[in-house]
Amino acid sequence: MVYFVNDIITGALIGLLYSLVAMGFVVIYRASKVFNFAQGELVIIGGFIVWFTTMQLGLSLWFSIPLSLVLAGLVGYAIERIFLTKLIGESVFSMVMVTVGLLILLRGLVLLLFGPAVRPFPIIFPLKPLFLGDMLIPMNLLIGGIITIVAALGLSWFFNRTRSGLRMTAVAEDHIVASSMGISVKGSIAFAWVLGAILSTIGAMIFLSGKSLTFLASDIGFAALPVALFAGLESIGGLILAGVIIGIVQSLTTNYLDPLIGGSLGSVVPYIIMLAILLIRPTGLFGWRTIERV
Amino acid sequence: MTYKSILGLRGLLAGGAMAMAAFMPLKAHAETTYNLALLSDFSGPYADIMPILAGGREAVFTWWNATHGKELGVTLNYKNYETRYDAAQVASLWPGIKSELDPIAVVGLGGPDVAALSERLPEDKIPMFMATAAYGFAWKEDAWIFNPRPTYSHESAGFLAWMKEKRGGDEPLKVAIMASEASPAYVDMAKGLELYAEENPEELDLVEIIYTEVQPTDLTTQMRRVARAGAEALIIQTNTSIVVAAKRGLQANGADIPIMMSSHNGLPASGGALGGLDQLEGDFEAYGMAVAADEETTARQFYQTLVADHGLKAPWNVVTAMGVSQGLYTVTVIQHAIEENGAEGLTGEKVRNALFAKPITTEETHGFLPTLTFTPEAPFPLKGLKVNVGTVKDGKIVIQATGVDVPNVHKW
Repeated sequence: MVYFVNDIITGALIGLLYSLVAMGFVVIYRASKVFNFAQGELVIIGGFIVWFTTMQLGLSLWFSIPLSLVLAGLVGYAIERIFLTKLIGESVFSMVMVTVGLLILLRGLVLLLFGPAVRPFPIIFPLKPLFLGDMLIPMNLLIGGIITIVAALGLSWFFNRTRSGLRMTAVAEDHIVASSMGISVKGSIAFAWVLGAILSTIGAMIFLSGKSLTFLASDIGFAALPVALFAGLESIGGLILAGVIIGIVQSLTTNYLDPLIGGSLGSVVPYIIMLAILLIRPTGLFGWRTIERV
Repeated sequence: MTYKSILGLRGLLAGGAMAMAAFMPLKAHAETTYNLALLSDFSGPYADIMPILAGGREAVFTWWNATHGKELGVTLNYKNYETRYDAAQVASLWPGIKSELDPIAVVGLGGPDVAALSERLPEDKIPMFMATAAYGFAWKEDAWIFNPRPTYSHESAGFLAWMKEKRGGDEPLKVAIMASEASPAYVDMAKGLELYAEENPEELDLVEIIYTEVQPTDLTTQMRRVARAGAEALIIQTNTSIVVAAKRGLQANGADIPIMMSSHNGLPASGGALGGLDQLEGDFEAYGMAVAADEETTARQFYQTLVADHGLKAPWNVVTAMGVSQGLYTVTVIQHAIEENGAEGLTGEKVRNALFAKPITTEETHGFLPTLTFTPEAPFPLKGLKVNVGTVKDGKIVIQATGVDVPNVHKW
């Protein structure tokens, strides 16, 4: 029974990591209605920035982490300025296609700049797990879970309670209308990309702490996709619940069903949930229902 | 006037040159060139090891051209083709490779090459020589794709038999396997050992096969399960990232279960990704070729020759050893084919026939590989199979065992 509860807790914490990466999807979507297919690549870029400042420059974690977050924000800003700003007012489809191109470009850039070698990622969170009786909780996931909840609460408040957040929501509704109301569309979208890149970098630190770094780590972007769609692409608070549900189901499947069937159903289950929810409720659990008057 | 006299002089020189060429010794006159197509992954999942592996095999071709090739009047040309370790890419490249190079052999890299070309090569009558261990799904008679090593499952079974003998006692060795459905080859490695464990319950007790992603999020709970089941060894023949995640999971649980890795994700690669070889103290790598340890061996001496005289820049490690051994058995087969058929008119089919006609001795591969006796029954030698075992001791890779016999693993 203890192990069962432990598997539920670990699953929930892994789910919260997915939620954090999915937050990058949602922040960018809420500000621009663009689904960023290159979210996993932003995680990799963030990971390599942390690796570079810590392992290559030899800076202490206290200095390298804030510096990495600033640099990641600058990368997000640069991506928006170079690739997306000229598409404001164009169809959302064009912007989405740009993110598909970004996915390929960023992978290529990582290979070009850092090479293909598998690198040791710095140990940011303690490797020693937290023991609660017979239960064992990985520290990186525990601290990551707390960070995710704090980030979700903060961003929820920002988007729903502040003028800047509400302006970003207006931008997502319609670029032209928002512009005509005096809202800086460029500024809002740029801010969303900065935020998305910073969240991805935090996700990279939790995901990769003490492990290895290669461009294969971008797969976490796809792992977070079911969480974002399950929650609904507009709901930051909903990501927490969606992440926890998907994480727990995945953990129980991995630990109890996979050994029985001799396969990896655990890695498929999140996508089954995603497809089921899209069939039943296409807007996700907490996504906005759009009412169009014709 | 002057114009005419120059033409006359040119004609005289040309005639003289032709006459000289006609009377030159036959060996130099019959300089023959054959092409090899090298399949490579410089931008896919094995991009990290590819430059080293490519350096090893190319240095062997340079060495062979300068030594044996010169004596035989044959030069081997080669060209790398980027496959991104993708079967679709290999399949789409192949017609172009064939028409551009008309190769007498293909020097392959991994599973996608096998998947893409296993039907094409018999039709085109061109053999492919791999560096890796073999795959169960490609274990067929009358093959055109060959591996110098048996399947990964043979290699892990050999290692586990050695480990059981080292441990002593009659109880079966408790083992867990890490696998991934990301690649058919990774599943194949696990399935073969699973069948071996089923057929040999007195030898192995397979406690669990854990399937995970190629970059796992966390393996702490999985490793706790493995430790709880009393596993005495953990087999990871997939990739480096899984070794790192499993090691961290074991460390988190305070479990000291030795990991066995293969050549492509071996001790140097996984140690590097963990931040140092000392993290893998007491863990193993096992495969059917020379271990690239610090000890002075025949293989190491040959590597030093390649570095000193033939421009090899790759470090002495398992990946270089893979590239060198692949190059060595490829050129040895071609050499046997030339000795059998003469330097002229060599074809892929004649090269393949030469592979079955005569064993490739361990001396011919400078100790990198055991003596290989290929038969049409399988794409790898079925008899005399051996593995070597390396480990980390005091932060250095050392040879733990050589010439370990591989038990009989049935086809799955």
